[in-house]
Amino acid sequence: MLAIEGLSKHFGGVQAVHRVDLQVRGNEILGLIGPNGSGKSTIVNVVTGVFPPTEGRVRLRDRDITGWQPHRVLAAGMGRTFQSIRLFGGLTVWQNLWVAQKAKSWLAVDRASMKKIEATLEFCRLRDKKDELARNLGFGEQRRLELARVLAAEPDLLLLDEPAAGMNAAEIEDLRDRILALKQRGKTVVLIEHHMELVMGIAERVAVLNFGVKIAEGPPAAVQDDERVREAYLGHRR
Amino acid sequence: MVDFLQALVDGVMLGATYSLLGLGFTLIFGVLRRLNLAFGPTILVGIYAGSHVGLAWPGALWAVVAATVVAAILCGIYVERCSFRALARQAPVVSMISTFAVWMQLQELVSLFEASRTMPYPSPAWLPALTVGPILLRSDALLMWSGATAIMLALFVLLYRTRFGTAVRAVADSSEAAALMGVNVSIIGAAAFLLASTVGGLAGVLIAQSQQQVTPYFGLWATVKGLTAMLLGGAGSLPGAVAGGVILGVVETQTLWHFGGQWRDLASFALLFLVIALSPRARSEPTL
Repeated sequence: MLAIEGLSKHFGGVQAVHRVDLQVRGNEILGLIGPNGSGKSTIVNVVTGVFPPTEGRVRLRDRDITGWQPHRVLAAGMGRTFQSIRLFGGLTVWQNLWVAQKAKSWLAVDRASMKKIEATLEFCRLRDKKDELARNLGFGEQRRLELARVLAAEPDLLLLDEPAAGMNAAEIEDLRDRILALKQRGKTVVLIEHHMELVMGIAERVAVLNFGVKIAEGPPAAVQDDERVREAYLGHRR
Repeated sequence: MVDFLQALVDGVMLGATYSLLGLGFTLIFGVLRRLNLAFGPTILVGIYAGSHVGLAWPGALWAVVAATVVAAILCGIYVERCSFRALARQAPVVSMISTFAVWMQLQELVSLFEASRTMPYPSPAWLPALTVGPILLRSDALLMWSGATAIMLALFVLLYRTRFGTAVRAVADSSEAAALMGVNVSIIGAAAFLLASTVGGLAGVLIAQSQQQVTPYFGLWATVKGLTAMLLGGAGSLPGAVAGGVILGVVETQTLWHFGGQWRDLASFALLFLVIALSPRARSEPTL
């Protein structure tokens, strides 16, 4: 579904990401983990068009989307959420979804779009909040709205950038169920997360970054036992 | 008391056109986060075009209106291409200085080609004045107020009741998030510019028919009034720009009635200074 080939991103003299290769298969949940500053969010920003890569290619379903603008990347089928919540605070919950959804009309609301928005709100348990301004929602609700908003755009591939950040145990359990439900609906999910229990519990494969370089990739159990991964998280053994 | 009420009514009517100018500024500033100082001069060119059409075809008011609005839109496109699209990756202050240069270009062009400098602008002379008790409602002022109110209502329906308007407000809220949610930010920015130019052109029609003439200094006047209305309303808030325009109009007419015309602009600028100095809202991030 998504192929990242030799991707590098340098900011001045800083190598945020260096020659990373990564394949995401259709309808899988891939965990992308790594210590702070390892380049996870930079990869998300580059593949979704926020920054152009310094080198390397990004292909989505065999289409070269390298350097495409973000709105074109989403139209091609790849959407994302943000590490720090970036909702349209002055718009209502419903309007946040209305902006994102694929609709033909820029003026009126058609019946099909309305039904899709309602279904997405239901899926994210936000139906009773639809007329509230996004900025007035609680933290957990804002996180759910971020997910609902990108789902409204109907992407096949979702990049979830630390969706569990700041959530309590019950909310993380709820998020876990929602991600698994997305997989059941045929979506492909890349989960960029620090919460190891969540990632190792639902990801089919895990890729690990450290200092902008991919150091391991494979099934969760194998990655957990990888010496380089232990070193990255725990430091060198003396 | 009658003087106060008369000045209040005149102020509200005049303020409605200031609100339109403020809305034009706010649309551009809210979406692009950049000030367009050439907003007034684009309206100036529109009014001069309308004036020429009015002289060529006396009585053809719709042609005058169309010429004014179309010329203002064309100038708006010129400003957007020169000072915004071409400089999109530069700092906002670069765009602002560029719009100042375009302002001077447009003003000098008008001065160069208009030997008489002051041009007449047609007015619908058949409209009657109204009196409500002791208050006189001049026909040109009534037209200004009703026209501005109708345009504002249409603009608010477009911005608050359509997906296009919701996208405009989303871009004003966070252009990066909007782009990642599938909104073509460049197109929305250009559309906001076009919309602002249209509103500016219509505001120009309403103001010029009331003043019945135009000079090359109209551009400066319109920029100052629109910018003041926007800043009074909180720099980036559409309802705020409407309120700011009305407040500016009322302050001006009250000053005119009670202290004389020479104090009119001084009072409004003093008010602007106070609002900027004392209100954190006037210095806040735009939220359409």
